[in-house]
Amino acid sequence: MAGDLRELILEGAYDCIARHGMAKTTVEDVARQAQVSRATVYRYFPGGKDQLLRDTVTWEAARFFGQLAAATAGAADFASLLEEALLFAHRAVGEHAVLQKMLQSEPATLLSRLTIGGDRLVRLIKVWLAPHLAAAQLCPGVTVDGAGDYLARMMLSFIGAQGQWDLDDRSQVAALVRTEFLAGIVLREQTP
Amino acid sequence: MVAQGLEERIIEAALCCISRWGLAKTTLDDVARQARCSRATVYRVFPGGKDALVQSVARREVARVAGAVTDRFSAAGTLEDLLSAGLAEAARQLLQHPALAFVVAHESDAVVPWLAFERGEELLAFVTTLAAPHLERFLAPADARRAAEWAARVLLAFCVCPARGVDLTDDVSARRVVTTFLLPGLVPGLLPGLVPDR
Repeated sequence: MAGDLRELILEGAYDCIARHGMAKTTVEDVARQAQVSRATVYRYFPGGKDQLLRDTVTWEAARFFGQLAAATAGAADFASLLEEALLFAHRAVGEHAVLQKMLQSEPATLLSRLTIGGDRLVRLIKVWLAPHLAAAQLCPGVTVDGAGDYLARMMLSFIGAQGQWDLDDRSQVAALVRTEFLAGIVLREQTP
Repeated sequence: MVAQGLEERIIEAALCCISRWGLAKTTLDDVARQARCSRATVYRVFPGGKDALVQSVARREVARVAGAVTDRFSAAGTLEDLLSAGLAEAARQLLQHPALAFVVAHESDAVVPWLAFERGEELLAFVTTLAAPHLERFLAPADARRAAEWAARVLLAFCVCPARGVDLTDDVSARRVVTTFLLPGLVPGLLPGLVPDR
């Protein structure tokens, strides 16, 4: 049951961060929340608070991508897949307890992770996009790697700020994906 | 009346100090010494003290960078040239700025809030307002606003988190990004009625 206990501690850490923010969360808080001893937390996370926070972010990111994959599972083509992903991510960020807590209490920590420390997120999104790009018919000169780099950065940019677009409006998201995301990447299907 | 030259000299001195010691550690004494004037003179020119000075430095640098980029816009003869030269100039201005480089490396809390959410929106709106009138030489007004914001996103995304094989400070690389990703999405009438017209 080792896996379950680790999971339980990560859930506890997530709840603590949502309530107190990252800076104020302690190993004791997490142990209490998960109803385990402090020693047990250290057994699973020998690096203490730093490791616990890092692993919680990774765990939550994995969970987020799991939900994203589920939300986009029925998409008919690559454009619809990106459309669903943007709609989902925009809504999820607005409703995400930890993100919203950190936006209030520790915006710089959160934003560093999303922006300057965004390499990890870019890599995660690229890994998720790669099979879809590999299956799509790409424009001449466009590689899976180059397109993944571009699309991952565009996704993060729009999740961070929607600008003049309304990302709650499906028709706008559809237009956005077919112009700024994909116009130069995927060959347009011939209209009969 | 404060002599224009004196204010300029103090701002230059502050920039020099910030690129060496950062925002937090730079003192008005440092700035005065660098500008070869007295601390009292710095206060006379910037009665608000360090905060006011730093704000003036930021405002001056934003205006200077904006000027350098819009000069490129004005010199461009095609949409492709305008976007490529503008992106490359902006990337060089941002990434080769000594004071900004220090702050990004050691005091990133001062800049990251400008990259997303509330102030990220402000920054996108600022660049859009700056660039859209120039893009209107080649695009309909709604498309010009859309293209301006899009280019701002590309600039920030690739400067903040560099990608292998993309270096926007390089003219050839910037042009490749423009021709690969941007221009195909700016064909007039690509999606009539679907793009937001605000």
